[in-house]
Amino acid sequence: MSPKRKISLTEEELVQALRNREKIAADALYDMYSASLFGVISRIITDTAVAEDVLQETFIKIWNSFSGYSAEKGRLFTWMVNIARNLAIDKVRSKDFKNQSKNHELENNVTFIDEQRNTVYKPELLGVKDLVDKLKPEQKIILDLVYFKGYTHVEVAEELDVPLGTVKTRLRMAIMQLRRYFN
Amino acid sequence: METGILELYVLGDISPEEKARVEEMASKYPEIRAEITAIEKGLEAYASENAVEPPAHLRDRVLNSLLTTFADDNKFPTREFLENDIDDEVDEPAGKVIALPAAKANSFYKYAFAACLVALIASLAAIYSLNARLNDSYGQIASLQQRNQSFANQVNYMQGEIDIFHDPAYKLVHLQGTPKSPASAMTVAWNPAKKKVMVDMQDMKLPANDQEHQYQLWAIVAGKPVSLGVFDAKADSTGMIPMDQVANAAAFAVTLEKRGGVQNPTMSQMMVIASI
Repeated sequence: MSPKRKISLTEEELVQALRNREKIAADALYDMYSASLFGVISRIITDTAVAEDVLQETFIKIWNSFSGYSAEKGRLFTWMVNIARNLAIDKVRSKDFKNQSKNHELENNVTFIDEQRNTVYKPELLGVKDLVDKLKPEQKIILDLVYFKGYTHVEVAEELDVPLGTVKTRLRMAIMQLRRYFN
Repeated sequence: METGILELYVLGDISPEEKARVEEMASKYPEIRAEITAIEKGLEAYASENAVEPPAHLRDRVLNSLLTTFADDNKFPTREFLENDIDDEVDEPAGKVIALPAAKANSFYKYAFAACLVALIASLAAIYSLNARLNDSYGQIASLQQRNQSFANQVNYMQGEIDIFHDPAYKLVHLQGTPKSPASAMTVAWNPAKKKVMVDMQDMKLPANDQEHQYQLWAIVAGKPVSLGVFDAKADSTGMIPMDQVANAAAFAVTLEKRGGVQNPTMSQMMVIASI
C-alpha cells in the first residue's frame, strides 16, 4: 500500500469540493473510490492494462460530467459505479476489444477475477467478508451478474435459465442481507 | 409500489418511466428516500468489500489526466475565483451558469506555435543563405582549379623552354632586320640532330601582321628556300611555337606573305634573316 496518507472527506464535503472543481476533490475522489470502482471494472475486463484505461476514463467522465450528478436522486457512489460499469461494458463490446482473443467470456469473469487477484479487504470491513460469504450462492451469482457485470434481470433469467420472478426475489434477498448488516 | 423496484432502481436496471416515478415518490416520501439510501449503502459496502486496489502508478496518471482536462477545457477556476465563489455557490441552486475565468494556459501554445514559426522561417533563411554561399564557393573552387591548371600548363611550357635554352644541342639563331625593316629581330631555336625548329615569340621584334597577311619562316637548304610554316606576330605573344622540321639549313629568313603562306618567298618582303 502507498505510504502516503490517503485523503478522505465526508460525502457532503466531497460533493461540494467536486462542484467547486477543487484539486483536493480529485485526490479525495481517487483515494476514496478507485479501489471499489476498479473492483467493478476488473470483473468486467480481465486485461489489466485495458481495465486501468477504463478506470482513468471513468474518473475523467466523473470529473467532467459532475454537473449531471444530483444528490437528491441518490448517493455519489451509486452514480459513479453506473458510469464505471457502463464504460467497462462499452469497452468490452467495442470492436477492437473483441478482436483480442485473450479475453475471457463474460460469464467466467466473476470467479476468474477472484482467483487471479488479491481483492482488498479493508480492516473496517473485516466482518463483512464473513457475512457476504454467507450469501447463498444462488443469490450471490445473481447479485454479481447484475451489480458487477451490468446484466439486466431479464438477461440473468435467460442466462441462468430461471424465472424472472425468481431472479428478482433472489436479488432482493441478497440486498436485504447486505442491508441488514449495514443499517 | 412494486416489490423490488427500489433495488432495481439503485442497480440502474429500470425503464426511464419507472425511474421518474421512483424519483417522484422518493421526493414526496422520506421513508422511500431512506429505503433507497439503505439499499445504496448495502451495495456500496459490497463493492467496497470486493474492491481491487489499482496499481500505485495509476494514481498520478489518472490525477494528471484530470488536471490536463481542466487546462484543456479552461474550466479550472483560479484560486481567487474559487474563494469568491464558494459562498454564492452554497445557497444558489445547482445548474447556475458560472462565468469562466479567462484562460491563461492556452496562450502558452500560441506562443509556442509562434516561436516554432519564427524558428522555421529563420531556418529557411539560413538554408537559403548557406546555399548561396555554397554555390559561390563552388564557383571559386572551379575558377581556382582553372587558374591552377593554367599555371601548371605555363610551368610545363616554361620548363620546356628552359630545357631548350639549356640543351646544348639547340642552336639559338638570332635573325637580324633587313634594310626594309631594320628594327626587326627574332630568335629561332634549332636542333639539327632532332631537326626541331622553334620560334621564340617572346623575344620577337616584328611589326604586328594584319588579317590578310602572315609571316612565313624559310630555311635555305642547298641554296633553295624551304617553307617551315607560318606564324602571327602579336604584341603580347609569349612562349615558343614549333615549326616544320629541317635538318641542314644554311640560313633562316622570314618574309611577310598572304595569310596561309606561299610556295616561294617574296624576296621584297623579307623582314629578318640570319645565316648559320
